[in-house]
Amino acid sequence: MLKRLLLVRGAETALFAVLAALPLAAHSPYAMGLLTLLAIYGILLIGLDVTVGYLGQVNLAQVAFLGIGAYAAGVGVTRYGLGLVAALVIAPLLAMALGALLALPALRLEGPQFALATLSFTALTTTVLNELEWLTGGAQGLSLDRPPLLGHRLGPAGFYWLCLALLLLVWMAMRNLLSSQWGRAFEALRDSPIATDAMGVGTYRHKVAAFAFGSGLGGLAGALYAFNFQYLQPQTYVYELTVILLLGVVLGGRKSLWGAVVGAVLVALLPNLLSSRTLFLGFSMAGFLVAAATAARGLARRTARPFQALAPVVATGVLVVGGLLVHATEDWRKAIFALMLFSVVVGLPEGLMGFASRFLSRALRIAPPPLPAPSPLDQVLPPRAAGREVLLELRELKRHFGGVRAVDGVDLSVRAGEIHGLIGPNGSGKSTLVNVVSGLYTPTGGAVSLRGAPLPAGSLFRTARAGVARTFQNLQLFVGMTALENVMVALRDVYRVPLPLVLLGLGRAEERRAQADALALLEFVGLGAEARTPAKDLTYGAQRFLEIARALARKPEVLILDEPAAGLAHPDVVKQVEIIRRVSQRGVTIVLIEHHMDVVSQLCDVVTALDGGRIIAEGRPDEVKRHPKVIEAYLGAAAESQAGAAG
Amino acid sequence: MPLSIYAQMTVSGALIGLIYALIAYGFQLTYATSKSINFGQGELVMVSAFFSLTLVDLGLPYALVVPLGLLFGALLGLAVERAGVRLALEQKSEGWILLTIIIGLFLFSAAENIWGRDDRPFPTPIPSDAFQVLGVDVTPLEVSVAVGVFAVMGLIELLKRGTLLGKAFEAVANDRDAGELMGISATRTVMLSYGLSGAVAALAGILVSPITTVGPTMASALVLKAFSVAVVAGLDSGFGVVLVGMFLGALESLASFQLGSGWREVPGLLLLILALAVRPTGLFGKAVIRKV
Repeated sequence: MLKRLLLVRGAETALFAVLAALPLAAHSPYAMGLLTLLAIYGILLIGLDVTVGYLGQVNLAQVAFLGIGAYAAGVGVTRYGLGLVAALVIAPLLAMALGALLALPALRLEGPQFALATLSFTALTTTVLNELEWLTGGAQGLSLDRPPLLGHRLGPAGFYWLCLALLLLVWMAMRNLLSSQWGRAFEALRDSPIATDAMGVGTYRHKVAAFAFGSGLGGLAGALYAFNFQYLQPQTYVYELTVILLLGVVLGGRKSLWGAVVGAVLVALLPNLLSSRTLFLGFSMAGFLVAAATAARGLARRTARPFQALAPVVATGVLVVGGLLVHATEDWRKAIFALMLFSVVVGLPEGLMGFASRFLSRALRIAPPPLPAPSPLDQVLPPRAAGREVLLELRELKRHFGGVRAVDGVDLSVRAGEIHGLIGPNGSGKSTLVNVVSGLYTPTGGAVSLRGAPLPAGSLFRTARAGVARTFQNLQLFVGMTALENVMVALRDVYRVPLPLVLLGLGRAEERRAQADALALLEFVGLGAEARTPAKDLTYGAQRFLEIARALARKPEVLILDEPAAGLAHPDVVKQVEIIRRVSQRGVTIVLIEHHMDVVSQLCDVVTALDGGRIIAEGRPDEVKRHPKVIEAYLGAAAESQAGAAG
Repeated sequence: MPLSIYAQMTVSGALIGLIYALIAYGFQLTYATSKSINFGQGELVMVSAFFSLTLVDLGLPYALVVPLGLLFGALLGLAVERAGVRLALEQKSEGWILLTIIIGLFLFSAAENIWGRDDRPFPTPIPSDAFQVLGVDVTPLEVSVAVGVFAVMGLIELLKRGTLLGKAFEAVANDRDAGELMGISATRTVMLSYGLSGAVAALAGILVSPITTVGPTMASALVLKAFSVAVVAGLDSGFGVVLVGMFLGALESLASFQLGSGWREVPGLLLLILALAVRPTGLFGKAVIRKV
């Protein structure tokens, strides 16, 4: 524990202490300019890393928010007489608001469409900055004077310290955010957006919030940028800078505050690197040697594909040869960035800090902080009194896909406290039915109600919030997270500290409580010892149990289990039956889809059989099993007599 | 009189819009097979145009310049696939977005240094004297754009529908893994689509150069609008891009007439963001059913 604290916090403290002390040693205007730029880029890249790293989306709009922040500050100071502090507050707020506005439509998209939308936004911003001449001065540019900070005129060192202080604040706020429920939600929605919604976390709103937050940091960096250069031009905030910023994040290492700062060093130094040919040659030679060594190692150990190993060697080789042949390196600036970025993206996709942290954590063996004692089960999963009244009701429910009537008018009543089985041959509409009930699909017709109140149609997120939790036939775990974190994401009624306080680091007590609650649920399904195991490393059976634990973290009234025993080996089936029975004993109403007839017979109070999207039989398990229509659905009409004889 | 100006603006804008549609069609080709697109497509348009201009300067006849230009574009497309896309697809990651951006940046810088930063005219045997159709001036150059665009899109669609190779294309587009199991090499199909997409980009460059001149930045605005067209129409919509492209071209031409040329790009960008808000899969795109 102490070792961890010393190493992790110690390194952070050392970084900022050194950065703060540097002006005392090197106070040439040149060095001060570089350091200031480094702090500004640090803030900008931490903001960019929110989308690129944590949301996993290529964001080409950060440069637009830099521009918006810069112009907000510039225009505010020159035309409206804003002070320094006011400008530093307004610029990020404006960027954040515009970020949210862009994110609302853009984040309904994934991958290429999102990148395209952000690229268009950048182009739009540049055009507007250029064309609104009465406000921004257009292509002529905008000159401004840095206003005093609370009456003090800031010299170069003073302004640098201001930037550094803001970087430190952003760093700490970001660290608090990422180690909270919010950080886990970001991680979760990248692994499985569907499960994130189904756990009542709200993929979309988290994405929009994250994007707006990152944009706000872009705006803050922009305001500092304006006060640093004191001259603004729309051409600064264009595509090329976007690519350089991405280079910074990727080379530094995604999903890492250290990575963002390392990337900022690189971005700040890059123009200087190109201004001296010797420096550039030395640097590219070093890059070539590193790439060659990595390639040789990767190929010898067969850990890298040939392309992955050789492409960076070729790219850096071109850099070296080009550096020898071409004298005007500045003219080839973009090609040089491109080759560097290419080598990094292909050869070192996890970035410098990703690589370093893997190496360091292996070398130093930093133990994670110990877990708290599990909470009492009654607190995490309070027993419900079950009165056998109708809880979940389906009326004339329909879902058609084009001409296919997957669910075609189903009436179903699930009583509180019961385990209600849903059986039927493949393609009978069971999965579609629970997908409609849980909100993944919008019904074509009919209604679903819980305790007489209609359930929200077509929203996993709002259905989950209404008290219906589910598991998935094809597992939808957050594979990159530990078992404990998987459960923590879904916990209900635990996270109450509002976001601003979380940023200030006041959410720690809540975190301990969440860990204790999640641990109790893991123990409930027999995974207490696996709390720290990443979900992807669990056995298949354990993964199925974990999905149930995660769904229980919602404290659900109704739990929908979609083939919980599918693919399990016999001992795990036995365990699974035992778990489901204990869940039921806590008063949770269960809808169980299952193919294992023995599981259904052991567990279910009532069974409904579906075929062709309609109900063909309903009753006690043994009744339904013998129902002629059910036998016909499973085995076909001709086989009826033999099956009857065998049964 | 003003009415006929608007008609004129609409028609010439819509004809330029066909170039957006053609570039957007290039995105569709690769998106169909690999769910990826080349973010550096604009640079392919530009470099192919420069290459063709060099051939013209060398004195080659136009009839030879066009096929050689298309071939060059196809080779560039293949290079992009090899260097930027294949690895990412194998790893099922979205690294190709970054990598194709990077390759585009490299091509841009190379073009700047090889051919210079200035815009140069592109000589063409097609005359540019306007003739009148229903009171609207149309130049043979603009007609050549329309003919070229429809000819190549029609040809590729015929190939896709009428040949075995086309069936393989459709198969991989539908389900890459199932296609592989049926003995179709998905990698080769993706290569084919990138080659075709590169050739389409080169054609766009050759068709548009006589109208816009050739320069390193000639395609950056074009491709941005092609992105808008592709997303608004839907990346899997076939001929939807033609309608959206022509609409956007006309809209733009009217906007620059009314608001000033600096605002030319704005309607397209707004249209894109609005369309995303209303229909994320595009106007002509198919809604995807999520399965769990």
